[in-house]
Amino acid sequence: MNKKIKFNTKNLDLYYGDFQALKSINLEIYEKEVTAFIGPSGCGKSTFLRCLNRMNDLIDSVKIEGEIIFEGQDINGDIDVINLRTRVGMVFQKPNPFPMSIYENIAYGPKCQGVKDKTQLDTLVKESLVKAALWEEVKDRLNKSALGLSGGQQQRLCIARAIAMQPEVILMDEPTSALDPIATAKIEDLMSKLKKDYTIIIVTHSMQQAGRISDKTAFFLMGEVVEFNETPVIFTNPADKRTEDYITGRFG
Amino acid sequence: MGRKMKDVLAKSIIYLATGITLCVLLFIVGFIFVKGISLVNWDFLTRDYNEKVFYAFVQEEVVPMTIDAASLSQKDPYDKRYESSLEGPIYIENIGAAVSKVAYKNNATEKEQFVFSYIEKDSPLLSATDSTGKKLSIGTDYILESINGTDFEGLSLEDVAAQINHETGELKIKVVQPGGGVRSNIITTLYMVLVSLLIALPLGIFGAIYLTEYAKPGRLVNIIRFAAECLAGIPSIIFGLFGMAFFVVALKFQISLLSGSLTVAIILLPVIIRSTEEALKTVPTAFREGSLALGATKLQTIFKVVLPCAVPGIATAVLLSIGRVVGESAALLFTAGTVAQIPGTLFSPGSTLTVQAYYVAKEEGNIELACAIGIVIIVIVIVLNILSRITSDKLNVFNKK
Repeated sequence: MNKKIKFNTKNLDLYYGDFQALKSINLEIYEKEVTAFIGPSGCGKSTFLRCLNRMNDLIDSVKIEGEIIFEGQDINGDIDVINLRTRVGMVFQKPNPFPMSIYENIAYGPKCQGVKDKTQLDTLVKESLVKAALWEEVKDRLNKSALGLSGGQQQRLCIARAIAMQPEVILMDEPTSALDPIATAKIEDLMSKLKKDYTIIIVTHSMQQAGRISDKTAFFLMGEVVEFNETPVIFTNPADKRTEDYITGRFG
Repeated sequence: MGRKMKDVLAKSIIYLATGITLCVLLFIVGFIFVKGISLVNWDFLTRDYNEKVFYAFVQEEVVPMTIDAASLSQKDPYDKRYESSLEGPIYIENIGAAVSKVAYKNNATEKEQFVFSYIEKDSPLLSATDSTGKKLSIGTDYILESINGTDFEGLSLEDVAAQINHETGELKIKVVQPGGGVRSNIITTLYMVLVSLLIALPLGIFGAIYLTEYAKPGRLVNIIRFAAECLAGIPSIIFGLFGMAFFVVALKFQISLLSGSLTVAIILLPVIIRSTEEALKTVPTAFREGSLALGATKLQTIFKVVLPCAVPGIATAVLLSIGRVVGESAALLFTAGTVAQIPGTLFSPGSTLTVQAYYVAKEEGNIELACAIGIVIIVIVIVLNILSRITSDKLNVFNKK
């Protein structure tokens, strides 16, 4: 099976002021797969994830060198960041629905892009919620505040919100770390469904989660990618001693 | 001394301090209420400060008196505005009203005047009109000055009664509505609140947005913030002097509602910037990131997500500002003037309630009236506070579940 490369990073370095957080990252991320980033806290996996939709722009002291090729274009260059973010969606660690109605939350992104047609928005909202496996639970309360939902529902709402932009890639930054096991299971189910249509990149602290849902896994340590391979290989037959130590729980 | 003793001592000092604060507050408010409450009534709120002279056209119609003479004599027109009741009352049938002669006092001038002390409910006075046919209302303390061109000055009450009874057909009566009210001051105050907020709110909110969302933290931001804080500490009389020199004289806005509002708007700016800034800072970064990650621009993020979340804080800013405008007197004295009238345009003067309170207390020595105005100010502040609290609760996006 020959899959297309979605993201190709070449010698990516990232500095927070003087501190180098990412050291010469070279990764190829394939489309319509789940790629997991694992590693101890502070190893740079979230920082790397945030490079992929230029969210690090928000932090003043960040300096980035190297290339991230997305669909043939270096996204560190002079590109339309807004357009990039509509194509590369993101779900955050803590569910962050806006304090608006459920409907408005989903319609927010499309509305910002200038979609005004009510019926178009209605179908978009419904489709997104169906895809995020939330429609049945919220269809009668679309105009209620999203803050009234449970944590797991809120996170699925955030996924639905990202889906509503019809992105190509969805970045997930520890999307289940604030959720209970049942809500986590639902989101994991959802991810395996979504990978048919979207490229999913997930940062996770749970190695079990990476093992369950991902096709490929990258192990980050101290700002470097120690090992990147098919998930079963990483978990059963790691090439690097440090990877083995980490996944067997000897540190981290 | 044991630890327990120290605790008790510290506790009693805390209680004492709280008690003193509360007592002072209650004493002041109580003093103002006790002094002023007797003057506060519907007429006080709905009349202007200056008396109003007008001609009323009344169709003469004989209306017999329905009350007996004893209860008529009880209808004493004497109240705080009159020094003493001199003659009467005498009931005059063809206008269906009783008139008394009193020594009338207003604005420190004292004059003998004829006032209506009782009006029958069928009296033609109640259906009086002005020269254009508009309905006028004549009340029981209105002053009677002339009828069909015959001036009453110097006449005795009997002569006046005879003179009125002598006239027939349509009567043209010169009537004076007594002054002493604060209607114009209330309206000027509300205008002032409105105009100064219209000027200061957008400026302050956009300034705060710049400081929190756009400006890179550093020297410039610190200087702006420091300047805003200094501005907040300057006494308002200084702003008044500046407003007089700049808005009134240099820009030729005259002493007017506009000059006053602009001056007060400058005073409000730091308050609004500070509270809006605090409100914007409490909006979680997660909302901004969430919005930006959905491909929204920075401006869309600010206006659609961040500002709605900051509404309660901005409402606090509005609340503080209203209090500030209603309470401002020193700056307005120089810029909006002391004329008790409703400003017809932005360029006409008008005195707010606080300026009026200062004026009557200082120029006329009328502490009771000043206290009555004080009551009105306190009530307005309370009402506006409640209103803005209700609206901010209604607009609070986090309250909706």
